[in-house]
Amino acid sequence: MGEMQMNDRDLRLLRFGASGVRGIVGQTLTPELITDFACAFGTYVQSGPVVVGRDTRKSGEMVKSSVFAGLLSTGCQVVELGVCPTPIIQFMVRELCVSGGIAISAGHNDARWNALGFINSQGTHLDRYQGEEVLDIYHSGEFVKKPWNSLGKIERRDDYLPTYLDRLCGFLDVGAIRGAAFKVIMDPCNGAAAGIVDLFCERLGCQLIPINNEPTGRFPHDPEPRPGNAGQIASIIKPVRANVGFLLSSGAARVSLVTDTGEAVSEEYTFPLVLQHFLGRKKGPVVTNLSTTKMVDDIAQRHNCPLIKSEVGQSHTLHTMLTEDAVIAGEGCGTVAVPEFHPGFDAFLSMGLILEMMALRQKRISELLDELPRYNIVKEKVYCPPDKVHNVMHEVRQEYRLKKPELSDGVRADWDDGWLHVRASTTEPLVRVIAESNNEETARERADRAISIISRLI
Amino acid sequence: MPRRSSLKVGISGVRGIVGELLTPQLVTTFAEAFGTFVGPGPVVVGRDTRLSGEMMKNAVFAGLLAVGCRPIDVGISPVPSILIKTNRTDAIGAIAITASHNPVQWNALKFVGRNGLFLNRYEAQELLDIYHQSEFSLVETDAYKWVDRDDDPTREHFSALLEYLDVDAIRERNFKVVYDSCNGAGSLFTSGFLEMLGCQTEGVNNVPDGLFPRNPEPKAENISELCEAVKAEKADVGFAQDADADRLAIVDEKGRPIGEELSIALAVKHVLSRNRGPVAVNLSTTAIVDHIAAEFDCPVIRTRIGEVNVAEAMITNCAVIGGEGNGGVMVPAVHPCRDSFIGMGIVLQCLAEQGKTVSELVAELPRYVMVKKTVECSTEIAHSIMTVLRKRHTDAGQVDTTDGLKITYPDRSWVHIRPSNTEAVMRLTVESPSPEKARELADQFAQEISSLC
Repeated sequence: MGEMQMNDRDLRLLRFGASGVRGIVGQTLTPELITDFACAFGTYVQSGPVVVGRDTRKSGEMVKSSVFAGLLSTGCQVVELGVCPTPIIQFMVRELCVSGGIAISAGHNDARWNALGFINSQGTHLDRYQGEEVLDIYHSGEFVKKPWNSLGKIERRDDYLPTYLDRLCGFLDVGAIRGAAFKVIMDPCNGAAAGIVDLFCERLGCQLIPINNEPTGRFPHDPEPRPGNAGQIASIIKPVRANVGFLLSSGAARVSLVTDTGEAVSEEYTFPLVLQHFLGRKKGPVVTNLSTTKMVDDIAQRHNCPLIKSEVGQSHTLHTMLTEDAVIAGEGCGTVAVPEFHPGFDAFLSMGLILEMMALRQKRISELLDELPRYNIVKEKVYCPPDKVHNVMHEVRQEYRLKKPELSDGVRADWDDGWLHVRASTTEPLVRVIAESNNEETARERADRAISIISRLI
Repeated sequence: MPRRSSLKVGISGVRGIVGELLTPQLVTTFAEAFGTFVGPGPVVVGRDTRLSGEMMKNAVFAGLLAVGCRPIDVGISPVPSILIKTNRTDAIGAIAITASHNPVQWNALKFVGRNGLFLNRYEAQELLDIYHQSEFSLVETDAYKWVDRDDDPTREHFSALLEYLDVDAIRERNFKVVYDSCNGAGSLFTSGFLEMLGCQTEGVNNVPDGLFPRNPEPKAENISELCEAVKAEKADVGFAQDADADRLAIVDEKGRPIGEELSIALAVKHVLSRNRGPVAVNLSTTAIVDHIAAEFDCPVIRTRIGEVNVAEAMITNCAVIGGEGNGGVMVPAVHPCRDSFIGMGIVLQCLAEQGKTVSELVAELPRYVMVKKTVECSTEIAHSIMTVLRKRHTDAGQVDTTDGLKITYPDRSWVHIRPSNTEAVMRLTVESPSPEKARELADQFAQEISSLC
């Protein structure tokens, strides 16, 4: 039913967000635009040192060169990490005590896209005020321009992986994981984690069966971790008798799972699974966004931990995590962050915790997933031109006013058995409708009702 | 004081002061225009040692990659090596990042075609049109290439030089040579080249740190440190390069600069003595060249100022030697470009073959005195002043108006006046066999120009 009548011209091929800019290379994401943003960021960090890394996309070298030119011209020292997963770039920003970082990765977007992700000195996405400041500098065009003898220099680092892996292993029960001697399939989608997954598995004593593990940037499927892209893992996991399969995004922030029985599991399950294990290790507040499965509510409740819900958006989730002093945060797209390790979404950490859970509980991944409360989630999008959004959201608020909805990001109404979230996309001319319930039909009905209200007005 | 613009966009490329108007965005856009002009393919990118080189290089890479080119990063490289590599490999063009003799806060892009020559004015005009119309062939991700590294920028250049020179004859003499690379691109390659010729070398200003210890123009007044070192080391000869190693000045065994005009004079004499043929030099180059060419009964072709103009005249006229009076020696058998290395090689070969000292070689050349002056003159009236001067001096002697106004008198004295294309001044060059006559003419014309301004 979800009515789709999107036109190409309605799609914004260049997207500005609090924590970065993304676009299609060769169309909207030009080297001049990237250089301008790098100059704006260099001006924002007051010419301090900046860490730069990228995923494997073929356009990465162009984007990198543009970023370097911009940063050097504003007098920033550049620490070049080369091809590097986004979480490790974020980790290194804090490790090296620099002023910020730029992660060149369009994460889950297809190969035509690339993006700059801005990282603040804490090693996490810029918050909304910091992001606005960078945008203001960008729009003003008033960049710092250093003279010939105060330009930045580039320092290439190749020694960071051991540092990162040491710290990660220090955070996990490596003895237990090594003892279990897991056999693991990983598909880094020829992205930034290609080759690094080998070192990860070696440290954890896992036998790795790699798929798409060449850092070529040729994506064999969309680099978005979700069941539709996990076909290769799912088809071989039973024959090779692997314990678990992991599918990564091109920047290695997100991960989704394939079970030992060959089921490609929705990315919605990654965070609840990690959460179930992690709250057993450490109790404290939990952060997720308004559109994430109710499984998270149930698990937090099971562990007697408060749950705080943020607006949708990685930066919002992470900054809510920091301000609320949460012990963990995650989202339905397959991300998890643990601030005690570092305050960024990190697929290596997620995988490590899942392997630790399997080792300590001595259960198969399919059994562990069966222990989670099961919900049915319906995700729809309705075409809605920007000039209609205000009316639509007003009408939706009216409709659900008796449910006393949560209004910080669209409209979210809760029932005992589930919830409904209606929000306008910030990147496309769409209104997203997400409904979840322990009863599939109820979820469907609630989504359909919201869609009919919206459709009436368009 | 007339304002000097800190950005110059013209047929010789784009040049400016870093941190003022020469921004990475501008550099990237020019690289996109150039990539669009040459089409997708390998493009050699090299730079001199300037501190802004790294920023410039990244901006160039970004622009080239965006239009589907594959940059070949040769790092710090002499300009002649970039041109020769472009000519002798499958590269379809090159961008040299160097402001050659300009002060250290400047940098520039110079554009090179597939043949290893700087773009001529028609090609450069086309490039500028593409730039101004922003018609770039941006490619999508699938068509993207990568940056290749070539860690041996002088490979093709030096192998051509060794083929051209009589290496054995030079090696036999074990010359002692002091060189001054102005901490420029020559710092990394000059001693290696001279050692291949069996020389013992000593370098001054040979740290490629991009801080120029002297004015990069290899003029007599800028190379006193080299002169002292030649004396102290009791060397056979001293060589001074500019920052991108295309121009050469020579210091004799007594530590005296022989004058950068004589680099081309010595080279012309050497080449014509082995292989007669036409000579091509620009209008401002010393008349000693005409003198020598006449001895060998060879024609001299005079061209507009600008390296590419000399290079194209050499090719069209099948010249065997050419260059510029500013220390630019061009030998087409190697490549028609200014090349300090071929200049050094030729001088060493002369010394080896003739068994003479540098001062003896110089003593054999006819004596001329050159005087150079600049007269402040706003760009606005430069053109009309040139018109007035041309009209007034039609009958003064042999008149050439290819580039400004050049008058050659029957006694071989000559005057060349042209508006600078970089500063709000008129450039006046006078040369005469008689020192008095040279000064007299210079004063007379300087006064005349001032009175018109």
